[in-house]
Amino acid sequence: MKNKNSHIKTIGIVLSYVPEYSETFFKNKILSLQKSNYRIILFVDYKKPNDYNCEYEVLYAPKLNGNSFSVFVNGFKALFKALVFYPKKTIHLYKLDKQDKLTFTNRIKNIIFNQFYFTKKLDWLHFGFGMNAINKENVASAIGSKMAVSFRGSDLYLTPLKHENCYDLLFTKDVKYHVLSEEMKHTLIDYNINDANIQVITPAIDVEFFNNINHRKPNSTLKLTTVARLHWKKGLEYTLEALSILKQQGLDFIFTIIGDGEERERLIFAAHQLGIINYVKFKGELNQDEVKKSLQETDIYLQYSIQEGFCNAVLEAQAMGLLCIVSNAEGLPENIINNETGWVINKRVPKALANKIVEVKNLLPIDKERIQNNAIERVTQKFNLEQQRHKFIEFYK
Amino acid sequence: MNKTIKIAIYSGEVPSTTFIERLILGLSAGDVKIYLFGFIKSKIKYDNSISVFGYKQTKIRKGLHLLKFSILLLLFKNREKTKLDKILNQKQDNRLTSRVKYYPVLWYKPDIFHLQWAKGIDEWIWVKAFGMKLVVSLRGAHINYSPLANEKLANTYKAHFPKVDAFHAVSNAISFEAQKYGAPKENINVIYSGINPDAFNNNANKENKIFRIVSVGRPHWKKGYTYALDAFKILKNKNFEFNYVIVGGKNNIELAYQIKDLGLEQHVTLVDQLTFKEVVNQIQSSDLLLLPSVEEGIANVVLEAMALKTMVVTTDCGGMKEVITNHHNGFIVPIRDPEAMAKAIKEAKSLSDSDKESILNNALETIQKNHSEKLMVGNMMHMYTNLF
Repeated sequence: MKNKNSHIKTIGIVLSYVPEYSETFFKNKILSLQKSNYRIILFVDYKKPNDYNCEYEVLYAPKLNGNSFSVFVNGFKALFKALVFYPKKTIHLYKLDKQDKLTFTNRIKNIIFNQFYFTKKLDWLHFGFGMNAINKENVASAIGSKMAVSFRGSDLYLTPLKHENCYDLLFTKDVKYHVLSEEMKHTLIDYNINDANIQVITPAIDVEFFNNINHRKPNSTLKLTTVARLHWKKGLEYTLEALSILKQQGLDFIFTIIGDGEERERLIFAAHQLGIINYVKFKGELNQDEVKKSLQETDIYLQYSIQEGFCNAVLEAQAMGLLCIVSNAEGLPENIINNETGWVINKRVPKALANKIVEVKNLLPIDKERIQNNAIERVTQKFNLEQQRHKFIEFYK
Repeated sequence: MNKTIKIAIYSGEVPSTTFIERLILGLSAGDVKIYLFGFIKSKIKYDNSISVFGYKQTKIRKGLHLLKFSILLLLFKNREKTKLDKILNQKQDNRLTSRVKYYPVLWYKPDIFHLQWAKGIDEWIWVKAFGMKLVVSLRGAHINYSPLANEKLANTYKAHFPKVDAFHAVSNAISFEAQKYGAPKENINVIYSGINPDAFNNNANKENKIFRIVSVGRPHWKKGYTYALDAFKILKNKNFEFNYVIVGGKNNIELAYQIKDLGLEQHVTLVDQLTFKEVVNQIQSSDLLLLPSVEEGIANVVLEAMALKTMVVTTDCGGMKEVITNHHNGFIVPIRDPEAMAKAIKEAKSLSDSDKESILNNALETIQKNHSEKLMVGNMMHMYTNLF
């Protein structure tokens, strides 16, 4: 009886919060693993009021913010549970943290914060983002599971700028790493991570949904689109500058930005100051069907990012048969093969982007079609959900 | 009007920003009574002509503050209290926090209520119903870009600006912008920010082996630091030697990432916010002050650099060209143009000693002539007295 389900592997996935309905990556990953007979338990730090009613088990970290009384009570409860119900794991974590020369206070804090991991028996403890693993470097060993960490872009390239040396301890541990691109793999190798412990699994998209069988004729007014959060790393200010150059050259266009975010005011002001506010449409967030519809009406897709792990939106645009121009930010040159499935140009050079848009616009239809077909074929073959599922199964073997 | 005018200088907090404090102190030397309302950030000793009616930002202090003024109004000015409550009810503003702010103003009822930040106009337009004159300052972002991205704010401006008794605009450029929201031109007084040039030592030697450039200001996008960094990348590629310091830029990821990405780690330093005295030292010891902003009213830091005889390269944003004339008292370049910025920085470095001295003297003269504290206070008083 005891070993009846032993072939079913249990994977604990660690995230800050339960992925929202629109966050397809984790949703798809979890569903596909469940389909492959894996048991998934989600460990999250925060409870959101409208947590998506998901079909997997979710464990929440003890609530250790708010008023000092409830912090004390919750902290005490967690420590009590750890010591009484899971003494072995608790002592193990304490000892490992001590070996790493953590202060006594931090060792106790780690027990309190991480006690809820002790409650499950896991084959893998997989941290969804690099920063999720900070202060949890010894948890997997303490509970006797293997440890995996995903890096997705900003956690590898931006977090260490804010929290210097934050991964120093993590990088000394026995961890299997998942990254989105070869570029990210090289960055990890630069941190002295063993090549063999890093697996590149690129994002994947629903290629059945994102397709556009009817190739349209170009619009009379050039239609450009970017799907991106309004965040500085998406390089939208540089994009707008490129478009102002085009405007000065007398080129008519409509540029649609799908997404919302903290830099809305900055971008509206830039568009206004650059004299192109009437040609830029800030659409805000749209659902998948609306995004698809907008892409169907697009001539050229732009992703002129400053920092980008890989970018699903560019995959979706390619699958839709759009002509894509992207920057050379981190994962993008692997997302698009320059001159084969789209165009890759240096970031932060608006003039280069403006020139490339004109060049692509003026391509012969036959040349455009070649790029479009290459893009559709490559994305369909290499970035579909099924191949991603196989790679993750391989990852956990 | 013969009696002493009572003027509320309202920015929401006490003490306020450096330049508003300068205005408060300057005005207090004249024949006026200054009232300061709002939340008390830190205790500050003013002279007798300045009265502070503020509250500390704790629930208890705010509660007591509200209680005190509610009782005073109820007992001695109940009709006016009822009138204000009715106005607030009509606006469906039932918040106690509003009353904490409003009741003391109603109790002391200054002759002039000078609102320093235009965004607060909807909150304070009621003062007019009680015979107070409403003056609104037009400064930077509140006029230049906030209403562009916020239609509701733009409509609020359009509804209230025509009712304002007088506007103080920090530049002609911003006066022009405010007119788009219905501010009547004849009610706008362009009064430049002023500093006391004598308070700045402009004889300090700059002994930098490597050309040292400084920018000062929080790492907000409107400061345009990303353009400055792109300019320095161009300069680095041309083997131009420099050290660039951004005071106030520490811990900003966007800038830190760009510095790393462009390989500028050895040349650019992001430092924390500094005290006013330390900022003065930074500007004084630098060869050049760079203002790479995309939006400003008129940047005070440029005025300070000019008074300190530190060369200025600024973008042509907001009212900056009302201060700087290219090659005459500094350098001015188009906004969002790293190439032009790089060129001007190079040019500033290669000036002959005599040309440099002449530009710096002209800059100091500009400050003495157009941007003295005395002139600012005089013009402001003139605007106030004209209201009666």
